[in-house]
Amino acid sequence: MNRRVQPEKEPESDVELLHAVARGDEGALARLYDQYRVILFGLLVRILNSREEAEDVLQEVFLQVWKRARDFDEGRGRPFTWLVTLARSRAIDRIRQLGARQRLADSAAQNSSEEASDAVSDTLHAEQREIVARALAALPEEQRRTLNLAYFEGLTQSEIAEKLGTPLGTVKTRMRSGTIKLRELLGDQMKGLLGPATN
Amino acid sequence: MVHQDYKELLAAKALTALDAEDARALETHLESCVDCRAELVEWEQTAAFLAMDADPVEPSPELRQRILTSVSRAARDGEFAQTGTDSFATPSRQTTESRVLPFERPGARVSSWGSMQTIGAIAAGLALIALLASLVVLWQQNRESQSELARVSTQLLEANAQLSRQREAVALITSPGSRMAKLAGTKDAPGAHATLAYDQNGHAMLMAKGLPAVPKGMAYQLWFIKDNKKMPGKVFTPDTAGNGMLQDEIPSVAREAGVFAITLEPESGVKAPTGSIYLVSAI
Repeated sequence: MNRRVQPEKEPESDVELLHAVARGDEGALARLYDQYRVILFGLLVRILNSREEAEDVLQEVFLQVWKRARDFDEGRGRPFTWLVTLARSRAIDRIRQLGARQRLADSAAQNSSEEASDAVSDTLHAEQREIVARALAALPEEQRRTLNLAYFEGLTQSEIAEKLGTPLGTVKTRMRSGTIKLRELLGDQMKGLLGPATN
Repeated sequence: MVHQDYKELLAAKALTALDAEDARALETHLESCVDCRAELVEWEQTAAFLAMDADPVEPSPELRQRILTSVSRAARDGEFAQTGTDSFATPSRQTTESRVLPFERPGARVSSWGSMQTIGAIAAGLALIALLASLVVLWQQNRESQSELARVSTQLLEANAQLSRQREAVALITSPGSRMAKLAGTKDAPGAHATLAYDQNGHAMLMAKGLPAVPKGMAYQLWFIKDNKKMPGKVFTPDTAGNGMLQDEIPSVAREAGVFAITLEPESGVKAPTGSIYLVSAI
């Protein structure tokens, strides 16, 4: 007997949200932000070691998402991958501009304490985080360190070799073995959690 | 380097950890290797999960507003959905799959017929490039059209339902002996008003405008009041603009000198009014 003018809607998938953003739907961008702000901001704070710079970069990232949503091709990866890749590459560009690598390396200890004090729980992605944490914990320490230096500090293989005083060939092997093992460990567990890579 | 050597660079490429020389060499190889491009996508997905190793941090609440304001400004300036090139753009935009070279037979005698053939081959090559490019454009347009079509179909269904309700209302109002009661908004809904049209058999149609949005789990309910006896009608939820329509039957006792009112109630409806009155007809 209840006549509803507006039917209830299913929650939108990330792909649908990005398509809506591409059509100029500002609300869809807000929903995408709400879903990923904590992950992306955590990533940017870890790379940049500064909340202020991380906020600047996060703003640039979402402005870029707004302008480039039409470039997103779901056949080439998930929205999660697209967003994380955009955010990380902006942050790495920023530290390269600032020439701040040394600062980052020197302040590693301070970095971890600052993050810890700001950390919140990411209830939306708690299960995925646990899977990633378990997978990383299963890697040998030197492989994990190599991946961290590349991913969070933006160092190239030669720069990692120099920083660690390790032969370049060893760094290459560690990086490749680490990523292969990580892919195996994450494997199918992640597929269902972040939606299909293609649909 | 051979194919296998390039494959071994893909994981490091996904971490953007390749040194400049390797990066350049791989970039060139990727232009022509579909297999490596597909594998790179997998590595990029694996690399992206590393983001979850960073502790989650909440940005300031003001940032959300700042971003939405800058996006609104960009939208006003017509800046959105530009196409560009990044690692996720469709391969057709940035690769050389459609690189077509004219046929040439080494050592063949160059004659006017031979040059005609060459020109023909170049023309055919150009035509093929144009054809491939237009196919890509059509494919993209088709994808966009399909989602647009789905959206428009939903809108059309809603508009049809609304139209049929309006037709019913017109039929009711124009039927012999029909009557209309005006309902005015109370202090809880000063901007609201409604009309209740009904015929001599009690078939009624309520059309309300300007109602406040209802909280989750709540709805507006129609009441027929006669001699202080309150008889429950149906419930309805207004749309986002505050408009609502409702069909109901007026009990025979309330058709003469009855009062009509709208209250806010639990969405399943109640037998006796519990909430505030939002709209009421003249007593």
